[in-house]
Amino acid sequence: MSAVVVAEQESRDLWVGGRGPLLVFAFSVLLSAMTYLAATNRAMNFLEQREAVNLTVQVSLTVGVLLTLLVSADAISGERERGTLEALLLTPVSRRGIVGGKLVAALTLWLACLVVTVPYLWVLGRGVAVAGQAALLTLIVGTLVAVGLGGLGLLISALTSSNKTSLASSLLLLLVLFAPTQLPALPKTGIGEALVRVNPIGSSLHYVSQVLVNRRSWTYDLSYLLSPALLAVVVCGVLIATSPRIVKLTAGVSSE
Amino acid sequence: MASLEAVRLSKRYGDRVAVDDLSFVAEQGDILGLLGPNGAGKTTTIRLLTTILRPTSGSFRVAGMDGDDPAGIRRRIGVLPESSGYPNRQTGAEYLRYSARLFGRDRAGAAQIADRLLADVGLSDRAGSRISTYSRGMRQRLGIARALVNDPAVVFLDEPTLGLDPAGQLEVLTTIRQIALHRGATVVLSTHTLTEVEQLCNSLLILHHGRVRAAGTVEDVIATAGRRIGSTRLSDAFLSLTNEERP
Repeated sequence: MSAVVVAEQESRDLWVGGRGPLLVFAFSVLLSAMTYLAATNRAMNFLEQREAVNLTVQVSLTVGVLLTLLVSADAISGERERGTLEALLLTPVSRRGIVGGKLVAALTLWLACLVVTVPYLWVLGRGVAVAGQAALLTLIVGTLVAVGLGGLGLLISALTSSNKTSLASSLLLLLVLFAPTQLPALPKTGIGEALVRVNPIGSSLHYVSQVLVNRRSWTYDLSYLLSPALLAVVVCGVLIATSPRIVKLTAGVSSE
Repeated sequence: MASLEAVRLSKRYGDRVAVDDLSFVAEQGDILGLLGPNGAGKTTTIRLLTTILRPTSGSFRVAGMDGDDPAGIRRRIGVLPESSGYPNRQTGAEYLRYSARLFGRDRAGAAQIADRLLADVGLSDRAGSRISTYSRGMRQRLGIARALVNDPAVVFLDEPTLGLDPAGQLEVLTTIRQIALHRGATVVLSTHTLTEVEQLCNSLLILHHGRVRAAGTVEDVIATAGRRIGSTRLSDAFLSLTNEERP
């Protein structure tokens, strides 16, 4: 119950405080520009409609997860620096409740990004009846990735001694995971295949494109969702197990 | 029964000793002054007793709860931490309502508590203003109100008058006196200001390098230390006990 109170307040701070709307506005500007180019630009409008929808889903998923990661990376280290964490730790709310509430609040940003994405999917997917499928796919796959990376952001936030370090580490992590997805096509066997499968973002984007562009069934390449699912489960497990020791006034895992 | 009891409490960070073999007792309604120079271990002591830090050795009881039940202790204490931060975008009323809800109150109950406490600390007229517009004194009073949202049996105030002008100090000291008088709560007041101790506290603990140098009523401490140095002033007793040079 206390976790719900923390989640409510954190969400209110995020959305009423102005940070959430600003990030979502920037996100929608990015999607608008991309959709406009996909629909009109000579260099890009060769894209088949399904490919345009796939591109939108991929941008939405990557940027939405990036924003979620940024919010969660600020959640504990930011409170430490602002001097508000001690008051929270002095309440009867368990450390797990605090972490759970903060993760849920960060995930509201991902859900907002998803809601913003739906109209773009509808516009680009008209005529091929793919918008609904794309939205559902984005919800399921994106939420899986957002939980995993949002949780990882919280872990980094709890373990790093400054907010800048936490944010920089989280951004670096996302860059490391995202960069391989932009490389020219990796070989489809051996190391290339393994790199795609082991990377939660790479494998998620691959799975989405297989369903949307290549019209595979949802179960055909389901094994590609193993790494994002595993990441989400492992990170949540680690948070549950370690939060009593890592959510504290000073960073690190040593006993205070 | 003592509402606060520490038995041979110690806290070490590697080789550095922050609190060493600390033992004391405070009864219900006491205002216990925690005095000491910078680095004496006052804040560490408060953080140990409020379960923010774990002791290296020793035991303690707060408000009838053993130290190994941190959640139980946190339900029964109120704390104004040293240099506490505040969420600048929230209003004073929102801040207190949220705090009350974290202690298990429903929305209506939390709103009632927030209104009452804001009135108690003289902030009713600024209840709807953002905390970013509050003066330092108003923030400290808000922090004290926050420490009272759960009707605590023991209240810890870590340097509540730090950085306040004389009028702000007076307001905060009056509020502290009322807490002990009307609520019957035990108050632990960490401070550098000797006059605050003389005005408010009925017992005193002087710390130096993490060790207790004197404990007892203010009069006892002055008498004991003063006998050696031939003075009846708390400031002289304090300087003598903490080996500080006189100006």
